[in-house]
Amino acid sequence: MLIITLTVLATALHIGLCFAGAPLLLGLVNKLRAWLLGRRGPPLTQPYWHLVKLLRKSTLVPDTATDLFTFWPLGAFLAVTVATMLIPGFATGLLTAPAADYITVIGLFALARTATMLGGLETGFGFGGAGAAREALFGLFAEGALLVLLLAFALLAHSTSLDGIAATFRTAHIGISVSLGFALAAMLTVALTETGRIPTDNPSGHLELAMVHEAMVLEYSGRLLALLDYAGMLRLVAWMNLIGTIFLPFGMARAADILSWPGGLALWVVKLLVMAAVLSVFEVSRAKMRVFRVPEFLGAALLLGMLASVFLFVAARIGA
Amino acid sequence: MFGLPGQGMHLHLDALSLLFGCILLPQVVAAAVAGMRASVAFWVFVLGMALALLAGDQFTLIFGFELMSAASWLLVLQGDRKPATLYAGIAIFSGACLIPALFLPASSLAFVLIALGAGAKAGLAPLHSWLPRAHPAPPAGVSALMSGGMVKVALYVLIRYAFINLASAQQPWWGEALVAAGALSVLIGALRAVLEVELKTALACSTVEHVGLIAVGLGLALYAKASGDAALAGVALQAALLCAVAHGLFKPLLFIGAGEVKHATGTTSLNWLGGLMRGMPRLGALMLLGLVGMGALPLGPGFAPEFLLFHAVIGAAATGGILARIGFSALLAVLGIGAALALAAAVRIIGLGFLGRPRSLHAAAAEDLRRGPLVAMVLLGALNVPVALVPGLLLQLMSPVILLLAPQAHTLPLTYAPLTLLILAGFAALAAGFVQTRWGVRGLQEAPAWNGGFGRPPAWLPFGDPHTQVSATGFAEPVMRVMGKGLLGVSKTDPAERFLFVPLFRVQTRLVRLAERVRRATIRERLAFVFTVLVVFLLVLGLGEGG
Repeated sequence: MLIITLTVLATALHIGLCFAGAPLLLGLVNKLRAWLLGRRGPPLTQPYWHLVKLLRKSTLVPDTATDLFTFWPLGAFLAVTVATMLIPGFATGLLTAPAADYITVIGLFALARTATMLGGLETGFGFGGAGAAREALFGLFAEGALLVLLLAFALLAHSTSLDGIAATFRTAHIGISVSLGFALAAMLTVALTETGRIPTDNPSGHLELAMVHEAMVLEYSGRLLALLDYAGMLRLVAWMNLIGTIFLPFGMARAADILSWPGGLALWVVKLLVMAAVLSVFEVSRAKMRVFRVPEFLGAALLLGMLASVFLFVAARIGA
Repeated sequence: MFGLPGQGMHLHLDALSLLFGCILLPQVVAAAVAGMRASVAFWVFVLGMALALLAGDQFTLIFGFELMSAASWLLVLQGDRKPATLYAGIAIFSGACLIPALFLPASSLAFVLIALGAGAKAGLAPLHSWLPRAHPAPPAGVSALMSGGMVKVALYVLIRYAFINLASAQQPWWGEALVAAGALSVLIGALRAVLEVELKTALACSTVEHVGLIAVGLGLALYAKASGDAALAGVALQAALLCAVAHGLFKPLLFIGAGEVKHATGTTSLNWLGGLMRGMPRLGALMLLGLVGMGALPLGPGFAPEFLLFHAVIGAAATGGILARIGFSALLAVLGIGAALALAAAVRIIGLGFLGRPRSLHAAAAEDLRRGPLVAMVLLGALNVPVALVPGLLLQLMSPVILLLAPQAHTLPLTYAPLTLLILAGFAALAAGFVQTRWGVRGLQEAPAWNGGFGRPPAWLPFGDPHTQVSATGFAEPVMRVMGKGLLGVSKTDPAERFLFVPLFRVQTRLVRLAERVRRATIRERLAFVFTVLVVFLLVLGLGEGG
């Protein structure tokens, strides 16, 4: 009974913290980026005010759109929400753990991408369509790379559930292996693409021909844009949690053991801070690449992911 | 009464034929309701499929199979003559492979012939390129049954022989060959589904992809059976059979819907459609359901099979020789790219056909579904829901089939739980609704979208200039540029056509020219020929006698 209560509490805490903290994390990334560029930057709470502002503005619908125009942001939001709930954050063994298979999570991200693409096609003008076509292209290699990466994780952890991977990587002495290094590089590449950051897409870009995500949500306003923007913030948290769970699982709390929570929470915050800092340094030091260079970038991720598995096969063969 | 003399016809029903019968039944009902009731050829086609599924002896099986081929050829012929000829050729080829194979003793040769014959009929690469031509030709109900049912009957023959009748001669390479053919089908089918402009052709290409997925599952199961991996055999068979069930429900739905699009607008070219959701909301909603299945999105009917298949490939890569394992990791990449391509194809059909602005006045004036197709589509759509939401239950129902095919197979409960995801999404939706009602502003205002700086359209284009909206070709352009040119070449022809059919046609042309040359020979040439033959004959005879 106590264990169930604790699990429920931990799950609620995880979901509450992720949902409440998502805008703060984006604010932090924006602030750090501004600092690195020598500007003062917006306050940390700016994304919250952005959402509140959008909620209180009126919502416009293009007269060329069909009735489903309002449905796509909700679909994208719900898919990202469920993915965020499934991916463990500060603790393993959450209530959602049995459903948190890596492939389900990939599927949910694909669902969110689909809803956004359809929202872009909904307006009936060139920008949305171009953005959706490019997003479809990026999706090809991203999905392939994510699946190949899963193979490397499953070979090491003998499990495809995120919880199982985290639990194995935390306790077993995997060590610093070449495979995981390749896998990390590939995962970061895909994560940058999926969250629409530099070098594949510019989150602060507006009305330029090379934009992807922004092109699809161009006609959304008011509460619908609030949903889409919030989904974007959640996606950043979800990806950081995913990378943290797989590559930095040390110090994660166990949901059934309340004494391990404070340590787990503190370490989780530190991990997010570090990842935000790395992300902003990376973004400031890179330029955005041409759209048709992105498939090469993601293709490299796919090959790195395959190499990670191949190294594992070779290691198993030579008994290393 | 019928059958071979002295033997008669035998019917036999077991779990496998029951499962495929269950896959077939809703499609037959739907196609009949959708307007094929009055056609005799249609009922002969159905009879042939039923006979092939229920056959207890080889003769009945081949009789039903050929009846199915012949009747569907007639139905294709009603739609279009050119693909009908190609279709007949493929049907004859598959018959020519199957008939000897059924009577051969269990051996690798029998398996190769079965795989060629049934694979050609199912549209398995490299013998798939007829399918995107022939399946869209007949009326929608028949297209639905051909794509959803006929390829399943061919796969049924493959399953019955590979797993049961030829089990004694099983070799590990059978499974590997099937996996390779399946992976090729997935890649080419999904890629062409993204590039094709005709709605029905794109759907047929997606059928090639799904046949490939089923073949990959079956191949993995064969491989596992030969190497004695019980868990892998179980999960691979689950994936293949569930994929067959799901595809048998959403693909007929989509084909009947495509027929209605054709009826309402006069075209199925995505370049002339657009905004159909406005005039045809019911059709749009049902097509959306089917396309969620085709794109293998979570909470749709197509995700659970794909999920199981990925697990099966990961399981296969965990053991075995190093080359096989590298091959399986490449297979995983191919399947991942294939899934993303299928998703892009589904998005393209919804986004360009049903959303946005109409690209022609016909699309703008389309009226919603007629009664018959509506009933058929609602039936298929309703049957999609249990596949989407309780796939675990369905897999339990299928376990006798899996045990029949691989007695040692060991199945695990499904870890994909759509109902849990739905409940979580429900919580999030409630929270979002609460925030919106508590702090948000209600209401929606219509406003013109920013058209990218184009001028005002002329008055005869009430929905604006279609060229300011992305076209079906334009949407596929990035994919074409990055993957299509490499795999299909600039001319977008199928590699199977380029490397298999074009050389065959060239050989045929040469033979025809030769025959024509013989026919046109003058009397002197003929006499000379006869004389030469006589001399050679006598020489041979004389040398034979002398030696």
